[in-house]
Amino acid sequence: MTTPDHADPKIEAYLAKLRAQLRGFNDQQVAEIVAELRSHMIDKLAISGDAVTPAQVDAILAALGTPEELANQYITDNLLARAEVSRSPLRILDSLFRWASLSVAGFFVLISSVLGYFFGAVFILVAILKPFHPQTAGLWLLHESTGDPEFSFRMGFSSTPPDGRDLLGWWIVPLGLLAGCALVTLTTRSALWCARQYRKSRTLPPT
Amino acid sequence: MRPRDTTEQEAADKWEVQLRKGCLELAILAALWEGKLYGLEILRRLESDSDLIVSEGTIYPLLSRLKSVGLVRSEWVESDAGHPRKYYALTGAGKQRGREMAGMWARFSSSMDKLLAPLVRGK
Repeated sequence: MTTPDHADPKIEAYLAKLRAQLRGFNDQQVAEIVAELRSHMIDKLAISGDAVTPAQVDAILAALGTPEELANQYITDNLLARAEVSRSPLRILDSLFRWASLSVAGFFVLISSVLGYFFGAVFILVAILKPFHPQTAGLWLLHESTGDPEFSFRMGFSSTPPDGRDLLGWWIVPLGLLAGCALVTLTTRSALWCARQYRKSRTLPPT
Repeated sequence: MRPRDTTEQEAADKWEVQLRKGCLELAILAALWEGKLYGLEILRRLESDSDLIVSEGTIYPLLSRLKSVGLVRSEWVESDAGHPRKYYALTGAGKQRGREMAGMWARFSSSMDKLLAPLVRGK
C-alpha cells in the first residue's frame, strides 16, 4: 500500500481531523481507513476533470459527512462488529468510551451502560461473597426504626450494621446471580440496540 | 386534511427508508458476488442495479464492519490512475451468508407478492 503523492489541502485537513477522531483504533487500522478515503476522494476528483474547483472539493467532502460524523460511523460499526465476535462487557465499554468521546448519544449510552454493568456486578459480587460472609453480606434495609430507611448492598467486609436487617438471607445467592446476569445481558443488548439505531439513522442520505 | 396527508406521506417515506436500510448488507454481498470491487464501484453498482442510494460516509464504515466479522476480505491494488485502491471480495463465510440471506429474501418476497397482489392490481 502506497500513499498517493497528491491531494488537496482541504482533503488533507479533513483526513487529519478524521485521524484524530479515530483514536482508539490501532495505527494500522487508522492508516487503512485514511488511505482508503484518500483514494476515494482522488477518484472523485478525477471524475470532476482536470480543473477542480474548491466547490467540487467541498462537495466531495460533504458527501462523506463531517470528520466527526464519519468517525462516529466507524466507531459504532466497529462496536457492532466486535459484539458479533465477543460480547464481553469490557470490549463493549471500550468501544462505548470512543463513541462517547464523539457524540452526545454515545455519552448517554456509555453512562447507562456503566450503571447497568456496575449494578449487575454488585448483584453478582454480593451473591458470590454471601457464603464467605454469611452474617453480613447481602441486601440490607438500614435505619428502619428512624423512619428514613435505605437499601444497602453489603459485601460483608464490615461488621453487622446495628440498625438494619438482611432482607433476602441466602436467597441473595440465586437471586443476586440471576439479577446480575440479567442486568449485564440487558445492558449489552441495550447498548447494541442503541448503536444499531444510531447507525441506521445515518445509513442513507436524506430523501 | 392537508396536514394528515403530509403525515401519512412522511410515514410511508420513513417505512421505505427503513426497508431499504434493512437490505443494505445483502445488497453489498450481492454486489460483490461476481468479483472484487472497490468502495466507489460498490456504490455505483448499488445505484445502477438497485434503487439503493447509499451515502458515501456509510459504505466505508459498513465495509470495515463486514471485514471485521469475516464476511469480506480486502486487498490493495495499484490502479492505472496511479494510486492504490482497496478492493473487497467475499470470503467463504460471506458467500454462505449471501446465499442464506438471498434465500430468505426470495421466500419472504414471494409470500408477500401473493398477499399484495390484490393491492397492486388496485382491486
